[in-house]
Amino acid sequence: MEHRYDIVIVGAGGGGMFAALEAVRTNPRVSVAVISKVYPTRSHTSAAQGGVNAALGNKDRDDTVELHVFDTVKGSDYLADQDAVDYLCGQAPSVVRELENLGAPFSRFADGTIAQRPFGGTVKDRCCYCADKTGHTLLHTLFEQCLRRGVTFFNEYFLLSLEHADGDCQGVITLNMATSAIETFVAPVVILATGGHAKMYWNRSSNAAGNTGDGQAAALRAGIPLKDMEFIQFHPTGLRKSGLLVTEGARGEGGYLLNRHGERFMARYAPQKMELGPRDLVARSMETEIIEGNGFESDAGSYIELDLRHLGAEAIKKKLPQIRELSMHFEGVDPIEEPIPVRPTAHYSMGGIDATMARTAIRGVYAVGECACVSVHGANRLGGNSLLDILVFGKRAGQEAALEAPERKAHGITPPAVRRAADEIRSYANHERYERYGIIREEMGKAMGDNVGIYRVEERLRTGVDEIHALRERFRRIRLFDTGTVYNTNLIQILELKNMLDLALCVAVTALERQESRGSHYREDFPRRDDGAWHRHSLCTMGSDGEVSLGHKAVTMGKYSLETRSY
Amino acid sequence: MKYAYFLSCINESMTREVDRALNLWKKDLGIELVNLEKGTCCGGSNLDYVSPDHFIIINGRNIALAEKMGLDLVTSCSTCLLTLRRAKQILDSSPAKRELVNSHLADEGLHYAGTSDVKHLLWVITEDYGLERLAAKVTAPLRGVRFAPFYGCHILRPSALLGRDDPAAPTSLDRLVEALGGSLVEYGSKNKCCGFHTLLVAEKQSLAMTGNAVEDAVRSGAHYIVTPCPLCHTALDAYQDKALAGRGVSGNIPVLHLSQMIGLALGYSQKELGIDRHMIAA
Amino acid sequence: MERREVSFRIQRYNPQVDRAPFYDNFRIAVEKGITILRALNYIKEHLEPRLTFRAFCQAGICGSCAIRINGVSRLACTTQVWDVLTGGGDDPILIEPLDNLEVIRDLVVDIDPIMEKLKRNQSWVKPAIPEEELGRKEHIVSDEQFETINAASDCILCGSCYSECSMMQVNRDYISPPVLLKAFRMNNDTRDTLGCQRLREVTTDNGLWDCAHCYKCMEHCTKKIPIMDGIHHLREEAFARGMTHTEGARHAQAFFDDIRDIGRLKEVTLPLRTKGVLGSLGMVPLAIKMGLKGRKPPLLVKRIPDIERVRDIYDRLEADRGGEVVGAIHELPLRSAPRSGGCL
Repeated sequence: MEHRYDIVIVGAGGGGMFAALEAVRTNPRVSVAVISKVYPTRSHTSAAQGGVNAALGNKDRDDTVELHVFDTVKGSDYLADQDAVDYLCGQAPSVVRELENLGAPFSRFADGTIAQRPFGGTVKDRCCYCADKTGHTLLHTLFEQCLRRGVTFFNEYFLLSLEHADGDCQGVITLNMATSAIETFVAPVVILATGGHAKMYWNRSSNAAGNTGDGQAAALRAGIPLKDMEFIQFHPTGLRKSGLLVTEGARGEGGYLLNRHGERFMARYAPQKMELGPRDLVARSMETEIIEGNGFESDAGSYIELDLRHLGAEAIKKKLPQIRELSMHFEGVDPIEEPIPVRPTAHYSMGGIDATMARTAIRGVYAVGECACVSVHGANRLGGNSLLDILVFGKRAGQEAALEAPERKAHGITPPAVRRAADEIRSYANHERYERYGIIREEMGKAMGDNVGIYRVEERLRTGVDEIHALRERFRRIRLFDTGTVYNTNLIQILELKNMLDLALCVAVTALERQESRGSHYREDFPRRDDGAWHRHSLCTMGSDGEVSLGHKAVTMGKYSLETRSY
Repeated sequence: MKYAYFLSCINESMTREVDRALNLWKKDLGIELVNLEKGTCCGGSNLDYVSPDHFIIINGRNIALAEKMGLDLVTSCSTCLLTLRRAKQILDSSPAKRELVNSHLADEGLHYAGTSDVKHLLWVITEDYGLERLAAKVTAPLRGVRFAPFYGCHILRPSALLGRDDPAAPTSLDRLVEALGGSLVEYGSKNKCCGFHTLLVAEKQSLAMTGNAVEDAVRSGAHYIVTPCPLCHTALDAYQDKALAGRGVSGNIPVLHLSQMIGLALGYSQKELGIDRHMIAA
Repeated sequence: MERREVSFRIQRYNPQVDRAPFYDNFRIAVEKGITILRALNYIKEHLEPRLTFRAFCQAGICGSCAIRINGVSRLACTTQVWDVLTGGGDDPILIEPLDNLEVIRDLVVDIDPIMEKLKRNQSWVKPAIPEEELGRKEHIVSDEQFETINAASDCILCGSCYSECSMMQVNRDYISPPVLLKAFRMNNDTRDTLGCQRLREVTTDNGLWDCAHCYKCMEHCTKKIPIMDGIHHLREEAFARGMTHTEGARHAQAFFDDIRDIGRLKEVTLPLRTKGVLGSLGMVPLAIKMGLKGRKPPLLVKRIPDIERVRDIYDRLEADRGGEVVGAIHELPLRSAPRSGGCL
């Protein structure tokens, strides 16, 4: 089946839906379709707990956009492109107010303005929030507004490939998950908003099962470079057993990190900001404590304690209700009574589709949010900046797409391209295949966690690259055991695994390449930042042989020049 | 054991047999009930829509009447139970609401303080009196009689307000049946909705709910349905023929009130207990 | 770590192959602390790759994995196996798809009807701010106004209440609990301007007044939202806004009136007052049959003693308010914002 639209948006999280809203608002005559492999309100935006940064000045009256820019650039370890950061922070107050205007239920100060709280790595309290369910409420608000505007959704459609003709966007090929039919969406403009890829760490990740980088993988295969893939953020406070996330808001509200001596050890690593240092620093400090034997030990692994008890039952119930629920469900711990066992967990992919103010190398193709690397997060993202990223760049892409779409034409998607997609899917069911999905996926998570984790060193990184290579080879023999066409989740698992493996290779290869430590990328063998050699973005492209080649790109500087980063 | 007894509107009219049966055997157990003659209709979970103030004052007054006697308030109707307990929860957690209510009760010499609990007759029997004691009083055990216990909604949900049984797997009525010597059938509808509350606004759908529950009970092979709620009884009994129409279910199933089932086990006749007044003959 | 063998009895159905749903049994060793979702994942990865279910966030916030576990709708990812063991752990755990929705395959159901109902009932905020001025100024919203909609905005649209709802079971066109909850949430948002329109839509056929108040939605809400309170408040709002033309509203009004008149419900005329003359004709045959059994409500119900005291309360309330009905007073977790005035 072929669909034709002026704009096709892949992904119905906050970025995709804001893009859709903005596109229909900017130009009501363009036709817009949003394709998503999950129902919109299932998207991973819902999991963002803490909040969204904007220099509203409701709390600290002297907060400014410039300070927000500075915090973001410094937090990125000077790898962010400063023109993009200027735009991000400059637009922040108005997009947050816009979401508020459209019904997002933000928590409030006594004077009725949007409440703001401190978050890691910032000099001012500027994180706007709705209890600890900010992403959930923003996602639902955007979904509601999309319903209001009559946005067309194609729910449970899986992206198979991004199609272009000589660098001009032609649309996407998708799989209708309910029927396993291949359906094409011909469109001169495509916005990729498919979310991150940190699930490649699997059990060592806070991500949803579907954060498999489908848009990134499709872009990579279509010839768009991926940028800064080595930068994976490890969130300091994942639950010990499941890797599920405890929001930074828990520390923003005053939570302590304690080692087994009962010591607030962050005093030794970030004496000023303590627990509210930037995520890379806090995660590394925790890992160091564990390695040095100062962590707690348990059957489910070593851990650090996050202690909220001194905040009191009232504050915990009111401001961190979800965290309390998660701790009770998944650790059997009520944070009112006991500290929460935590350890760092892969959380966010700073790298992604190389995009300049959301535009990519293929004309008509945009990328926004976590799947993109604009780059506003550089080597380390600040808490509260990811929701902001999807809102600001989702909106911008929607606006620009609505203006661009009428100017462009898509000729169509070629029958051979559709045939290739169909052949690939059929091939997975081949009886000679025998490798099992669960095993390869498990080994991928372990290979990444063990070798391309928080602390990196050449020897292990080489092992990681080799292991991922070997797993990709084995993937060629993976077997689809479910050959039905109705809602075949076994097939989707395999397609997701393929995407993760390709992206894992990019992460491992670029991590091996970068011989310095910057932001989330910490090399034990190169423990210092080396601006002379490495103050540049990395780029990955994939040839038709499936091999990755590397390139690089200059960082766009601005008002803030390189400085040592300390907190 | 002495309680204030709430006179439910339906038990004063259509299902008078509930209280008739209760009044026969209460003395056998040494339970003393003082009728709340001055109490009003609880509003049947409808009054608050029209005016939340009326709802809270009227029911605050009902409970205050029991408080004046120094007694807990007992009802034989699940909806009265829920409505009164809702009012009580609001009043017990809000000084402002207590003040409002008391400002209207002063003239009558009443005062709401929150000292009286509100209970269902089933709870009085299973908790206050005790099933072992009751079993010892049984003179005509219900041996060989298979019951389908139908709890209905407002004695189970919301559990935060009622909190005796697990709404997904209630047992109190089951245990009572067993204490009286009866046996139980397995059937899925014991905690489902009888449909009563929408009989007048969505009759077709309500009858479908009623029909589902009755059909389930019939197919389970039970001899009787027993229910602690006269509203459920009305749906299941009076509307049974209508609800089963067109379902291809053969036969009917008589529905007993809680008070009648206990009466039978204590040796009273069907006629004395008013079982002959039901629409479906026993 | 405590470990034991647990059986799972899982409803299967692939419309391509199976004529009807059937049950499959799987017995696996499970550690204490494992969730139902992890058990399902294990079964899919090791025993039956065709087992089909939805799951995404694994943290109880996306709502994908709602299924029925031992007959109760819950999230697979937040339900521990140990918490649903019965029969000393020997009974199989029953796993079925949500109820009241079409099964697509195994545990996957079609949730589009929920989305369509959300759309039909304008489940969104329409602010007074003109389009071109969006983003310029914040609304000022008090913490109390925020708290009014806070719990209701926890809804993750998992569909558990939809699956549990008694009215849904007999009428798939019924508006459904999550949509009513959204209506409550929107109508109590001080920034919204659609209150009257939305309430009018919500109170049409198969709507607000059809709720049987069985409290199942609230009892089984996966986010512990007191959904019934929201439905109650919407009904209050219908009265506060003068939308009293519906059968449900007339039914409620009868209780209000009767308590003033005699202190008790006059059941004999209740159908007439709820459904009108024509509407109640259908009830006559049953009424006659019941009358023959002596099951008729008395034509004249005796007044309660001291009815004057009750009337005093009504009179005082009437005087206090100058005849105007104002908003909710409940201090249950879901409160309703004060409203004034009716709808045109």
